[in-house]
Amino acid sequence: MKIKKGFVLRQVCGENVIVGEGLDAINFGRMLCLNETAAWLWKKAQDTGDFTVESLANALCEEFEVTPEQALTDVKDTIDSWTDIGVIE
Amino acid sequence: MTETRYYTVAEHLLGVKADDIFLPLMQNYEPFRHDISGKTDVERPPLLFTLTVTEGRITDYIEEYSQEDEGQDTICGHTAGNDPVFEFRWDGKTAGWLVCTPDYRQGTLHLSGHDTKAALDNSLMILFAMASSCTGTALFHAAAVSLDGRGYMFLGKSGTGKSTHASLWLKNIPGSGLMNDDNPAVRVKPDGTAVVYGTPWSGKTPCYRNVSAPLGGIVLLSQAPYNSITRLKGIGAYAAVVPSISGKRWDSRIADGLHDTENALATSIPVWHLDCLPDAEAARLCKETITV
Repeated sequence: MKIKKGFVLRQVCGENVIVGEGLDAINFGRMLCLNETAAWLWKKAQDTGDFTVESLANALCEEFEVTPEQALTDVKDTIDSWTDIGVIE
Repeated sequence: MTETRYYTVAEHLLGVKADDIFLPLMQNYEPFRHDISGKTDVERPPLLFTLTVTEGRITDYIEEYSQEDEGQDTICGHTAGNDPVFEFRWDGKTAGWLVCTPDYRQGTLHLSGHDTKAALDNSLMILFAMASSCTGTALFHAAAVSLDGRGYMFLGKSGTGKSTHASLWLKNIPGSGLMNDDNPAVRVKPDGTAVVYGTPWSGKTPCYRNVSAPLGGIVLLSQAPYNSITRLKGIGAYAAVVPSISGKRWDSRIADGLHDTENALATSIPVWHLDCLPDAEAARLCKETITV
């Protein structure tokens, strides 16, 4: 999986928000608010390019004190919501 | 005879190099004329861009995106050498092609002979919006009124009644005045305050006033069968402001600059959402709530 072209993480009034700015995302017409963990995952996914639920869960475990099971659940929930809203492919 | 004239819009200096024959089409710019003769570089505002007006057509370019608005098409693209291009069409007929340098400091408008006035205005608006985007400046699609030394902007989709609401202020609120009816500019100053300016572009209303005022509030309008106003904060305020600002957001340099301006406005300027009827009570409710 990867993040679709044209989506950008912005700091809006102190919060993390995904906006569509690129040519392929210009008609997104929505803003997606992320909590700190989701924003961290987004940046990781952006840096990695191609990612899987497992690769992001592993990265999460290395950075934060979470159990592998908890990391897997959190990442899966986050990715599911990104898939629903259409910002990854 | 070709000459270069200068104008200041929102304290930015713009140059237009064109033949005299285009002068009668530029009456709306007269209140913004700026005489730089005898002034040194330090005595005048820095030059934001120069537009050169010429006749003719351009050879092919690569299309990126096209936008349709009230019978007018704007096609954005780039030349083989990666210079931004904007083609303006009315009812399918091309009025002109604007070719810019990637930093939007220079633009050349190639006129076809159709709708020359509209092509000139659009070219200057585009260059202004793009070149100023990294300087805390934004060109809005809004109506702006003044009251007691402050400026207020009304935003909303086309057809929502921005001009109607502004005219309701003028009729019902003594002391209010129209600053601009379609495209005011805003600058966020280094100290975080914001100023709203009249511009030479004002849609169908000939309101070309070289005026400015500290920005006191921004109101997003929606049509409703009642009048009600609420304060928007944080992301809600940001989301209200962004769609009303002109820009080419797939150019990341421009998007970054506009984001900084939008974020500063959403943080420091009161933003409101007014559900309203086109009546005097809407104007009074709005005025009572947003002016302090």
